[in-house]
Amino acid sequence: MKSHVLGIDFGSTTAKVVILDEDGNTVASCVSQKGAVSDEGVRAALRGAFEQAGIDLSAVVRVVSTGYGRRMLDIADRTITEITCHARGARALVPEARLVIDIGGQDSKVIALDRSGLVARFAMNDRCAAGTGKFLEVLARAVNVELEDMGAEALKAEDTVAITSMCATFAETEVISLLAEGRPKQVILAGVHQSIASRTVGLVGRVGKHDPIVMTGGVAQNIAAVHFLEKALETRLIIPTGAQIAGALGAALFALDDLRSASKVKRDDDDAVEAKLEQLLADPQRCTPACGKKETPVTFKG
Amino acid sequence: MNTVLDKFAQAAQRPYEHVKAWKQERGVKAVGTLPMHFPAEIIHATGALPVIVQEMPDAITSGGGAMYPFFCGYTRSIVDQVTEDQLGFLDAIMFTDHCVQLLSAADVIRISRPETTIHFHQLIASLRQPWSLESSVKTLRELVADLEEVLGVVVTEEALRHSISVFNENRRLIRDLYQMRRTGQIQLRASQMQHIVKSSMVMDKETHNALLRELIASLKTSTAPRSDEVAIFVSGHLCHAPRPEILDLIEDCGATIVDDDLYTGYRYVSTDVDAGIGDPIVALATAYIRKNDNVPCPTRIDPEVDWEEWLLGAVDRCGAQGLVVLLVKFCEPHYFAYPRIKAAFERNEVPHLMIETEHDGVAMENVRTKVESFVEMIKVQRAARAVAA
Repeated sequence: MKSHVLGIDFGSTTAKVVILDEDGNTVASCVSQKGAVSDEGVRAALRGAFEQAGIDLSAVVRVVSTGYGRRMLDIADRTITEITCHARGARALVPEARLVIDIGGQDSKVIALDRSGLVARFAMNDRCAAGTGKFLEVLARAVNVELEDMGAEALKAEDTVAITSMCATFAETEVISLLAEGRPKQVILAGVHQSIASRTVGLVGRVGKHDPIVMTGGVAQNIAAVHFLEKALETRLIIPTGAQIAGALGAALFALDDLRSASKVKRDDDDAVEAKLEQLLADPQRCTPACGKKETPVTFKG
Repeated sequence: MNTVLDKFAQAAQRPYEHVKAWKQERGVKAVGTLPMHFPAEIIHATGALPVIVQEMPDAITSGGGAMYPFFCGYTRSIVDQVTEDQLGFLDAIMFTDHCVQLLSAADVIRISRPETTIHFHQLIASLRQPWSLESSVKTLRELVADLEEVLGVVVTEEALRHSISVFNENRRLIRDLYQMRRTGQIQLRASQMQHIVKSSMVMDKETHNALLRELIASLKTSTAPRSDEVAIFVSGHLCHAPRPEILDLIEDCGATIVDDDLYTGYRYVSTDVDAGIGDPIVALATAYIRKNDNVPCPTRIDPEVDWEEWLLGAVDRCGAQGLVVLLVKFCEPHYFAYPRIKAAFERNEVPHLMIETEHDGVAMENVRTKVESFVEMIKVQRAARAVAA
């Protein structure tokens, strides 16, 4: 039986899981949206990934966790930050990447990579949710548009409007005022995405712009965010397949390093990983089809 | 050892309670000073207890209305302490300027609390002029005369020489601790070092010296090489203490702070006063001019010393693998200097991380992610260099 490793990105709004086999093949990846650092979300993502991989829990011998909830998972052998994991994952998906823009639920990060792919510098948002997925969530609610429709709606606008507030809550007030003035929703949404782009460009300025630029994180799926960011940066962004799971992939690759450096010798406590996984997955709340969104495994070999 | 460290921690955490208790116990006067450049030896020579006014963690209330919100937390905090009548236990407050914001604070305090005894002396900021020493001597003599009048005492040369000796010993003992930490002989956390230095700013110096000697005698020393995973130099916070939680957080993320230029750190003890100079006032003025060579201060004008170049050397000398800059929000001197520091560290490919701090606190989880990423970055780069070699 092949050994496998798990990378878990326990984010602020979603949980992502990637399973690699000992040869570095991606055998499963799964995203679950269950709210802020939710145990249920992790369980759902794990169940989805195991179902997809068709492997037994006992096949998993190394686990690395990342994301805001990384320290909450006692099944992890070690934790690594999302900055390091997104850099590793993005570089694996796009080997020529020199800059990674990761806009997640709670924060946004810009990571400069050196020529060998190592993190050289990074910057992340400090104090507010402006420029993050949470910012989009709050403003989608204010404009009464589904989150997944925001991007397409914004791109319908022929004009845009400036959203100047640095704080998500104040921006919501600003948007409500604009709605009260009778501004079209599409125009406001274009302004919201433009605002995210300008915040992100500020972070890019702190570490320096280096092409090619790869975008990861959930917001990479938003076509308007990508459009306005490309416009602001005056360059094309590479959005790899599996952009949202880049952090989990990076974590899995670090787990694979650990496995390989251990010379594939079964550790004394390998069984402990299985036991902890069993315990975590034994929660009485069963996964429903809606809570674990399976993704097509990304084409990658570590 | 813990008992001594606990005493330092208590004085550092509740500085004014310590001073009030000391005054009551000893029946002495206490004179507050602003940080950085005031030679507290002069107050000590009067028999009064010198007290460096500290930033307090309390929310800024009435003082907030007297100051612009874009003034730094320390400035707003001391104004708030005065308007909230928290500094009434001080018999006087002596100001020497070190930044424009504190000049404003002195005015605000004078206007809002005219009954508070405040004296202001401006030490020359330009350190390399032919007249810099003479100007500093003149200012310090005025300061002594002012203190003599306020406290009704005469400051003798003999008393000043004694105070210089006591302060020099205090600085030397703390520098000894720093050196033992740099070499890994002792394991004290950065927050414990902060308690040691900060308590020195409010405690009677002879008492502090006795405690330091007791601490050094009780510390277990090791000859094994330093075992820290990633050694870090911390820079910034030029006039008040960073929250100890931030120092703990940095060290909890897999780094060891081996050296610093913090005011409540090495900056405070960097330079002794030359006891061999006959006139103690000239000796104090000379130390004021010279200390910029040992730890540069961006509030002083010194064309011969670049803070960024000094920092690169300091990081190298202590064996640190990276620099963490703790930058106080709205600290103008630091804002002015930071771009050059950033550029110098990037040019020399020495990892550095800037964390902006503010009076109301920082988002600790955000800071934790930054510091952990910084430590991971250094480790991965180090491993790659080892493989390449």
